[in-house]
Amino acid sequence: MDYRLNLATRMLVNKRGSLIGAILAVSIGILVIHVNFVIFQGIYDAIIRDMGDYRFGDVFITHQEEATIERSDSVYTAWLERFSSVKAATPRLGGTADIEFLSMGKINEVYDISVLGVDPVSDIQASKIHETIGDGQYVYARNSIVVGETVARDLGGCFVGVKSALRGGGSDPTVTGDQIDADCKVRVGDNVKLIMQNRSGDEVSKRFIVSGISETAGGQGFDSSVIVHIDTIRSMLDRPDESNSILVRMNDRNSFVVNDLIAQFSAAYKNDDLLVENIEQSAESTLKGFRSGIAMINLIGYFGMMSSAFAIVTIQMMLVNSKTREIGVMRAIGARRRDILLVFILQGMIIGAIGAGVGTGMGLAYTTYAKETNMQFQGSLALEVNYNWKKIGETALLAFGLAMLASIYPSYRATKLQPVEAMRNV
Amino acid sequence: MSDVVLELKHVTRIFGEGDTEVRALDDVSFTINRGEFVLIVGSSGSGKSTLLNMVGLLDKPTSGTVILDGQETTKLNDGQVSTYRNKKLGFVFQFANLLPDLTVLENVMLPQQIQGGKDVRKKAEDLLIKVGLEDQMKKRSNKISGGQAQRAAIARGLVNSPTIVLADEPTGNLDSVTAQKVVKLAKTMAKELNQTFIIVTHDRYQFPDVDRIITIKDGRAFEGEETTMEIPA
Repeated sequence: MDYRLNLATRMLVNKRGSLIGAILAVSIGILVIHVNFVIFQGIYDAIIRDMGDYRFGDVFITHQEEATIERSDSVYTAWLERFSSVKAATPRLGGTADIEFLSMGKINEVYDISVLGVDPVSDIQASKIHETIGDGQYVYARNSIVVGETVARDLGGCFVGVKSALRGGGSDPTVTGDQIDADCKVRVGDNVKLIMQNRSGDEVSKRFIVSGISETAGGQGFDSSVIVHIDTIRSMLDRPDESNSILVRMNDRNSFVVNDLIAQFSAAYKNDDLLVENIEQSAESTLKGFRSGIAMINLIGYFGMMSSAFAIVTIQMMLVNSKTREIGVMRAIGARRRDILLVFILQGMIIGAIGAGVGTGMGLAYTTYAKETNMQFQGSLALEVNYNWKKIGETALLAFGLAMLASIYPSYRATKLQPVEAMRNV
Repeated sequence: MSDVVLELKHVTRIFGEGDTEVRALDDVSFTINRGEFVLIVGSSGSGKSTLLNMVGLLDKPTSGTVILDGQETTKLNDGQVSTYRNKKLGFVFQFANLLPDLTVLENVMLPQQIQGGKDVRKKAEDLLIKVGLEDQMKKRSNKISGGQAQRAAIARGLVNSPTIVLADEPTGNLDSVTAQKVVKLAKTMAKELNQTFIIVTHDRYQFPDVDRIITIKDGRAFEGEETTMEIPA
């Protein structure tokens, strides 16, 4: 082993307190970045995941200018499903409606809720919205409706402060809040009426039987909407064969494959004025603000790492000051300035390497914990936790580099010690 | 090859300026020959440590020249001086000044490692055996006694086969018995290796048998013990 590395190591090992302090400074800096990444990137990825699963699929097709695509969706879905990389394609048509529910002789109404029309057979293949049905089942017939959790509650007609009165519970202490909440909701099997305006402006209404209640963690699904069969909504709106969008689920979600499909589809239907986007593009407006938030949080993390660098500067300055005599002796027996410089820079590298290793280890342990326990953000949205090896490597390298950089000034100070001055306190 | 290994010509070292000016060395000139065992004596504040710093290339004179092994050293740059110190000089300090983070053996190997030498371990081990520290080689240098540390320091001073070994109060921190052993060891090594030794001390009687004595008084050098003649410039 080179004597300078040996000396650097021994000096550090014999100053365990300083060594541990410096390593902790580096490793905690890395851990903060890992925790930030797991939480904020996890939320970001979870939102993308849920948007992809429920709203946009892997490829989302709409009309560039019009609200609906007039050409039959079957033309597009048949074309798309020829590709082995495509799992399924499904049309969707939406609108707004008022909804009524008769409860205990009282009509409860909710206005202007979103209505989503789906083709249940292909939608089950192309999206995961059916998995959000906590109670009951997905749309299975033309008169069945899935009600979002929020709509179900609003239609229940119970509001804070009047629940007991409405239920006739009075001050009965045996009636708990949970029971009242459970009773004050639309339930599977209930009958609701949907009132919409068709394309001519005429009011149309239809009764539905509630087949399921949809609830999604983090509200990325259709908690504030209702879902019906696409043919029913087409009929109500007088828009036969029309759809707002076509959602495509890929077997192969590799971005190259997805973008290749988009290019081919766009070329095949270039005269149809369709807007074909991948998930990042279609979710862009939602994610744009969030991305700046992540960038800000990451910046705070990197500032934390800079603080670690200052801690290293301080610790190494202390080391240099406590080693004045040794530096003088080394200079006296012939060590050059660059030898002294190297000893202390090597110390920075050792601190950086061990700190980066320990910090990365702690970060990976936290990431694994978050992944294995399906960590949730505020108990709702399950984080999408991934091992981003590039980012992990970059963070470790950055920490190592910063530790090395931080050691340059103390090392330089050490080289400035004149042997005769350094020996004066002998 | 000339027998003169060190020549000081009109060396003056002044600290401070104006009213605070201190003339630590004043026009000092002398030569030292190969293999000599020379004692530099003087009372505290006489300028002997300043002289040692000049000879050890740890400081530069205000005026005059220091010629070491035929090389005028005052014009060398910092890197060259370091290399010269490493190759031509061996240091033995009052408190041994071994690096406490290293073992005794590693301390003795260090000057050779700085030089980039080969077989450094073998030579260091041989020297440590010679100074009687074969059992202490692997110990941390701060775990051995003062006398042992000083013997290790002598081994470190000799390991590069320097032109001159400079010893600054090498017995100043030792009890009289240990001091005698260290003096005897230094004498033995000087004789065995035909090694030039310059020893700076305030206690002339620790070193009864030396080749020459140079006395420093008020920054001036005199040949022999005090009251003898000033060395002619």
